[in-house]
Amino acid sequence: SSKPKDPYLGVAPEDDNYYKSSAVIKCKDGSKEFTKAQLNDDFCDCPDGTDEPGTSACPSGKFFCRNAGHIPLSLYSSRVNDGICDCCDGSDEYESKVKCPNTCWEAGKVARDKLKKKIVTYQEGVLLRKQEVEQAKLALAKDEAELSKLKKEESILKGIVQQLKEHKEQIEKAEEKDRLQKEKEEKQKMEAEKKANEENFKLDGEDTGLRNEAVKQSDGKDNDVANHDKSGFLDDSSMRQDAVEDEKLEVVLDNDDGVTNSPGSKESSLNGVEEGSDVPENTEGLSKEELGRLVASRWTGENPGTQSAEADATINKADEDNDFSKETNHEEYEGYASETDDDSRKYDDVDVEDEIDDDFQEEEHDDLSSSYKSDSDTGPDLSANNPSWLEKIQKTVRNIFQAVNLFQTPVNQSDAARVRKEYDESSTKLSKLQSRISSLKQKLKHDFGPEKEFYSFYDRCFESKQNKYTYKVCPYKEASQAEGYSTTRLGRWDKFEDSYRVMVFSNGDKCWNGPDRSLKVRLKCGLTNEITDVDEPSRCEYAALLSTPALCQEEKLKELQHKLDLMNKEQPQNHDEL
Amino acid sequence: WKRDEFRNCNQTPFCKRARARKPASCSLVAHDVSISDGDLVAKLVPKNPEISEDQTEIKPLILALSVYQDGIMRLKIDEDPSLGAPKKRFEVPDVIVSEFVSKKLWLQRLSTETIGADSGPSSIVYLSEGHEAVLRHDPFEVYVRDGAGNRVVSLNSHGLFDFEQLRQKKEGDEWEERFRGHTDSRPYGPQSISFDVSFHGADFVYGIPEHATSLALKPTRGPQVEESEPYRLFNLDVFEYIHDSPFGLYGSIPFMISHGKSGRTSGFFWLNAAEMQIDVLGSGWDAESGISLPSSQSRVDTFWMSEAGIVDAFFFVGPEPKDVMRQYTSVTGTPAMPQLFSTAYHQCRWNYRDEEDVENVDSKFDEHDIPYDVLWLDIEHTDGKKYFTWDRVLFPHPEEMQNKLAGKGRHMVTIVDPHIKRDDSFHLHKEASQKGYYVKDASGNDFDGWCWPGSSSYPDTLNPEIRSWWADKFSLQNYDGSTPSLYIWNDMNEPSVFNGPEVTMPRDAVHLGGVEHRELHNTYGYYFHMATADGLVKRGDGKDRPFVLSRAFFAGTQRYGAVWTGDNTADWDQLKVSVPMVLTLGLTGLSFTGADVGGFFGNPEPELLVRWYQIGAYYPFFRGHAHHDTKRREPWLFGERNTELIRDAIHIRYALLPFFYTLFREANMTGAPVVRPLWMEFPSDEATFSNDEAFLVGNSLLVQGIYDEKAKHVSVYLPGKQSWYDFRTGTVYKGGVTHKLKVTEESIPTFQRAGTIITRKDRFRRSSTQMVNDPYTLVIALNSSQAAEGELYIDDGCSFNFLQGAYIHRRFVFKDGKLSSINLAPASHGNVQFPSDAVIERIILLGHASGSKNALIEPSNDRVEIELGPLWVQRSHGPLAMTIRKPNVCVADDWTIKIL
Repeated sequence: SSKPKDPYLGVAPEDDNYYKSSAVIKCKDGSKEFTKAQLNDDFCDCPDGTDEPGTSACPSGKFFCRNAGHIPLSLYSSRVNDGICDCCDGSDEYESKVKCPNTCWEAGKVARDKLKKKIVTYQEGVLLRKQEVEQAKLALAKDEAELSKLKKEESILKGIVQQLKEHKEQIEKAEEKDRLQKEKEEKQKMEAEKKANEENFKLDGEDTGLRNEAVKQSDGKDNDVANHDKSGFLDDSSMRQDAVEDEKLEVVLDNDDGVTNSPGSKESSLNGVEEGSDVPENTEGLSKEELGRLVASRWTGENPGTQSAEADATINKADEDNDFSKETNHEEYEGYASETDDDSRKYDDVDVEDEIDDDFQEEEHDDLSSSYKSDSDTGPDLSANNPSWLEKIQKTVRNIFQAVNLFQTPVNQSDAARVRKEYDESSTKLSKLQSRISSLKQKLKHDFGPEKEFYSFYDRCFESKQNKYTYKVCPYKEASQAEGYSTTRLGRWDKFEDSYRVMVFSNGDKCWNGPDRSLKVRLKCGLTNEITDVDEPSRCEYAALLSTPALCQEEKLKELQHKLDLMNKEQPQNHDEL
Repeated sequence: WKRDEFRNCNQTPFCKRARARKPASCSLVAHDVSISDGDLVAKLVPKNPEISEDQTEIKPLILALSVYQDGIMRLKIDEDPSLGAPKKRFEVPDVIVSEFVSKKLWLQRLSTETIGADSGPSSIVYLSEGHEAVLRHDPFEVYVRDGAGNRVVSLNSHGLFDFEQLRQKKEGDEWEERFRGHTDSRPYGPQSISFDVSFHGADFVYGIPEHATSLALKPTRGPQVEESEPYRLFNLDVFEYIHDSPFGLYGSIPFMISHGKSGRTSGFFWLNAAEMQIDVLGSGWDAESGISLPSSQSRVDTFWMSEAGIVDAFFFVGPEPKDVMRQYTSVTGTPAMPQLFSTAYHQCRWNYRDEEDVENVDSKFDEHDIPYDVLWLDIEHTDGKKYFTWDRVLFPHPEEMQNKLAGKGRHMVTIVDPHIKRDDSFHLHKEASQKGYYVKDASGNDFDGWCWPGSSSYPDTLNPEIRSWWADKFSLQNYDGSTPSLYIWNDMNEPSVFNGPEVTMPRDAVHLGGVEHRELHNTYGYYFHMATADGLVKRGDGKDRPFVLSRAFFAGTQRYGAVWTGDNTADWDQLKVSVPMVLTLGLTGLSFTGADVGGFFGNPEPELLVRWYQIGAYYPFFRGHAHHDTKRREPWLFGERNTELIRDAIHIRYALLPFFYTLFREANMTGAPVVRPLWMEFPSDEATFSNDEAFLVGNSLLVQGIYDEKAKHVSVYLPGKQSWYDFRTGTVYKGGVTHKLKVTEESIPTFQRAGTIITRKDRFRRSSTQMVNDPYTLVIALNSSQAAEGELYIDDGCSFNFLQGAYIHRRFVFKDGKLSSINLAPASHGNVQFPSDAVIERIILLGHASGSKNALIEPSNDRVEIELGPLWVQRSHGPLAMTIRKPNVCVADDWTIKIL
């Protein structure tokens, strides 16, 4: 190797003066200086490579190629004369066994065309984005307005409900008084009768018993609303059912001798491999094939019972659809346990139980808000656009209060019923209102980007089908992968990353022998919202690409246009762009 | 680790029986001692030929003792074939190199002598200058003695020798053995052999891989040992092996080396491929036996047990460590000359999933300016784990993919394992089953075991015809989608059989010629590796060196390729044990070895990963690899700083490629390993004998690993009387002292030994391929007499032309203020030349008095400048060293450079 013919080879244009202005040149890092004769003499003097812009002598050097007609390039100097053409003008291989023809014009044209296309996309995309941003602002303002209005209404309604409650309680007190009075009278009457007619004693006694029973029942009814024992009990029972399932699981695990699949042993097998951690395993009962699969599964992390790696997804699907999870889960467990003895993979998810709970809450929440929505669509009474509903209630309640005489004895039955009905209706409305408020608050808490350009993502999901899988990405909520009837959660919404260029979904379904699933969605400028290129670069860590106008930023467009201008400027004179 | 899945000694009847034997229980004596066919021969018969317990007559054994050049004694003991044994016992073929046979010394006569207080005579033959081979008749003992009459290595000094002769099965004989639901039919009954071997003048023994344990082998029996298994040699696929255990792993080399304060090194090799168990006996183990060996020297006793085969043992007299290496590799062959690219950095993962993934990883290396040479594809690249096929969805254009890599001077490796999918549509399976090329089960059907593809059979590569058939499968025509830049990885060749006993093949499986699997088990992977390497040689028309990485190995594997230490784990203990594992492999002939950088299982913390790269850069075989459940860990995924640190570690390896390649040639010529325990270079420095935290690369570089998280300080022992220069800064450290050094994240402590010259290439390219013509840097570390020397070997890096003399081999000698380049290639230099225009661009002198400004080059008579420069150009910090600027002398020429 020897020095290049051009003493300034590899120097970037902006550095021309730096090299040409004096006879002794400083290393850019200030560590040393060197003479003109040492510039590009194929011996490294500056640790940072300042003295060898045109040779490979300095490991940290950079080589600049102009690539007239295309984009200039700054290469690691290790690329100089290495026998591979890196610069389209061939300037990096001036003393090499390969000939590098100048391909900048052809390559540049391709690159310019590509860039132009990109610019066109950006131009259109910038407009779409502007619209998005405008709409988002309006919608957000609307949301906020609604929220504050709802809050106001909530406070009024709360007052009404409180008043109604007091009324109701007074009525009930009065009724109780009535009842006691009546009872007392009855008793006196009875005693009188008893005296009068000793022989009928037995029959009377039974009567009293029956009546007492009835009284008890009505007592209970009074507490019914406040006392949600019932649903609590349901939860309990479902938990208990799960616990039973767990026991069954353990039995299954025992049978196949803890095929290393319980989460605990997995941890230890991956991280702390200790002598003590090995679980004695009785494999004698297994068939040859079962044994083979079992041992293979240690390395592969695959389910030894089935060939398909994703069989556990079925369960997750069941978890998600809480409505039938109790039944279905049950069946699934049973079915699996009997079908494949050594399949403990599905059961190692201790999370299953928790997830059911989580889901339950979430679904409940969703249900309410959706029922609220349908209410607001159809029923006039709670519509935000119709302010009169609250007034109506207020009026009705006022009327009731005027009409009902609380101190009247006995209590007027129809008045009491009216108060009760009104109370029930108002408190139902209040809870719907509150749930709407909380869902709105929930929504507005989210980060919709610096210009709220991601606002419209809130209620949207993007789907993509890749081979046998359907991927569904719902920003601010969750992402999933579906195959047939089974769905696997790839992650719950976590955050934006990399200045709003990446959406992160984390804490998805647990991977057997791996981490919790997660998904990173990289965003790029595009005219439609479209998810593509879903990939699993590392086990259970997914990646996808979403093109969206939200990423078509004006500054970026300007950058691209500038780049194109530069490329056009660098064109050699003897070529014309066609 | 599933301990219960594997047999311990107590569950292994032959081991349990042997271990229960008492010293002096052997009653054999040598009869009819004579010279025959150049060997010393004798019959071994029981002293009192009583009838044994089971009423069978004990037949005499045949002993043959032969002598080879360079102080090698070979002892064979077998049954007498003329006495009608039910079966010929297995002798391991194709391990001893043919050249060795021709080195036999034809014995002419023996002398007889009654030694010391012996009651009977001993027969003595010449072994080598200063050594004799001795057969003591009664009690029977064989040993090598030195000129002073001291034993060096002896066999049966403690009378533990036992040889179970094959018998006809009698009624009532229970020969079957059961283990965890597997039944071994053992049709030939007990046939084990055991004996004691003593290393005299020794304090430590080393070798007998593969175990994840210390370099100096800890005693497994004796008063200081509470309870231990013997070192087991039985090739096994062990899931998540632990870091400190005598347990047998993927390969077996029944070769042990001893060393001690006397400075003497000796060796013992038992060529036997059946399961072996070896006890290292702690001093005092025989306190009650009453046997006293005549020598007052320190001694290490060992006890060797094998399930089958014959005694075919080699005694190596040393006396220096490298003598033993040369002697051992003259029997089993020296390490093959590797492809130059394969000595660079390899990037592997289970799995790079598809062509896009491959392209992406490849381009990221360039983007981050990290060199690498080889990208690996694990089992998932195949169509249903059928080797030689491609998953055409993931890899639709394998040739194009390989050619793209080749365009950057890079190579690809695909995996080819021995289990063949039993799928009738798979041509390989169809062919193998039709030709009867599979190993058979005990009932004579093709053995059917479970591995990656499911139901699989295994080619019987013990047989040369089948090896040749297998080799043909690697031709570019037969291996669809392969190109000349594709090389091969043999995994699972222990063989791993998921549903077999101890995750391997049943011992009663049958190979061609009626050989039982038990007899050859430890060589199965070796023959498979051999067949694969032969296949690559055939593919290249005999012009291209093969590169085949194997997991299983046996004595002789060094002739066929590299091995790695299998499925290790990402933790600090495993980082630490990788060093003694690699050193032990080097001591037993396998130079080209390394551990998976980062640890195969689990996710290394960035600090551990960086430390692993820093030490891995000095493994002879340098590959990053990871299990498919782990997070991605390509070098650029852990932040800028860690990327920089890893890049730096890899750069060091690339800078040292000329140095490493020269060492690979040295190994190829002499058997001396590329990386060496300290005691190999400092045999009289006792402080080095059990040091396995540091090692030497060649004779010149000392590397100390950092094995602790967040280490602040480390103690480094620098052996010898000469000083050592910090490899990065040039700072001088005294030898013979333990230094407590500050630890930085930048590097692990590395030192150049005073008196050595190291050649480097300091320009970092995309891969080693582009470095061929790059200029060299010489780093001369002067000793106290201002002298140093070193070597440089260069050839085309890929062909066999070096065998015809197409290479450059120089010795650089610095003394009296003058550096000379001397040709080491023989004068009648063969008929093929290897030309090179490469020059030396920089010569750095460490430890030279400063003040000189110029140097004079002869014969050109050019004057060149001397200046103060950094030891590494990209690092400005640290002290500066005297640097001869641009001497630009050609590496191929004779020249001298005189400091003025």
